Amino acid sequence: MSNIDSKVLRYKVENINTLPTVPGVLKRLSVIIEKPRITLVEISAFISNDPALTTKVLKMVNSAIYGFPGRIASVSHATMLLGLNVIKGLLLGVSVFELMQKTMNGLYEHSLACAIASRVIAQKKGLKEPEEISVAGLLHDIGKVILLLEFPKEYETAMNEAQAKGISIYEAERIQFNATHANVGSWLAEKWRFPKNLIEVIEFHHRPTLSKNAPMETAIVHFADMLVRARAFGFAGENMVPEINPVAYEMLKLSETDIKDVLNEMEDNMDSAEDIS
Amino acid sequence: MPKIPVAKLEAGMKLAKPVVGKNGMVMLGEGTELSETWVERIRDMDIASVFIDGPPIQAIPREEALANLETRFAAVEGKPHMNLIKKIVKEHIEGLYE
Ligand SMILES: [Fe+2]
Ligand SMILES: [Fe+2]
Repeated sequence: MSNIDSKVLRYKVENINTLPTVPGVLKRLSVIIEKPRITLVEISAFISNDPALTTKVLKMVNSAIYGFPGRIASVSHATMLLGLNVIKGLLLGVSVFELMQKTMNGLYEHSLACAIASRVIAQKKGLKEPEEISVAGLLHDIGKVILLLEFPKEYETAMNEAQAKGISIYEAERIQFNATHANVGSWLAEKWRFPKNLIEVIEFHHRPTLSKNAPMETAIVHFADMLVRARAFGFAGENMVPEINPVAYEMLKLSETDIKDVLNEMEDNMDSAEDIS
Repeated sequence: MPKIPVAKLEAGMKLAKPVVGKNGMVMLGEGTELSETWVERIRDMDIASVFIDGPPIQAIPREEALANLETRFAAVEGKPHMNLIKKIVKEHIEGLYE
């Protein structure tokens, strides 16, 4: 049974900038993106001052995660095209890449595939900002990274329990932490001043009917997450395909052809999308 | 468009994506057919793998991939919509081996 108080957990997450387990790059980025009035120009300058970061950002903007036609060659163009929230999410994505690799092997592939699938479904549904859904897909499991960094032993226990009892990692986390990666991720997204929709997608991607402000976006990432697991891209804590929420399924109304298209897009783009480190 | 580790490169393969150095400079363009010399040069660069034209290579044999699929879906057998999703994913995976 759990001996971790979820209030303590939340306090730690909200003070991520002071946690010794969290590497410097993420702390520095966290300080930048949580600023209440950060501007596009500032964030553009922050990226441009770091050549390695610039390369990674441009690779990612030009990858299948976003699916822009043509090549985006400069950071300023990328920031203008994507806007503040998407750029913030993208920066987090490139910064947690190595962390994901270190903490849970396969979580990055899982997240990338989910970003691609979410974007394709969003386009099929005619959503106005498919890039924002890509970001939601990319970051939906970011809570796992923090749990793994701060509580590696407990998280391993959760993974073993999931395996032994045949329950999902989401359920195993709840037993172990009195909270889940979805909670942790939403606390982070709030701290980083992401829009309400993105916070809700992260918070409810396992229980999509609870989302009040972004039911469609949440249903998309919920479906994408399931499909990525069904195809077995990457690893997210255990190897089971979760049950799709029937309400989310009905809301999306994806045809068989739609689902096949999503699978093909992931298939065609995973190799090159992984190549952004 | 498979990603090939540099150790497995051979002359005659064709680049599906440019080879880019650490500084972001394009060293060899997309579509270049690799000669022995190019293969050697690529090995002298600090890169792990490059993209080559051709159909993707599957990491595990077909039978194993299909057996894993059954295991992954075992707990959701018969749940709403899951049989249809499994059927679609199964056809998709079979398609990767044709
Ligand atoms: Fe999740
Ligand atoms: Fe996930």
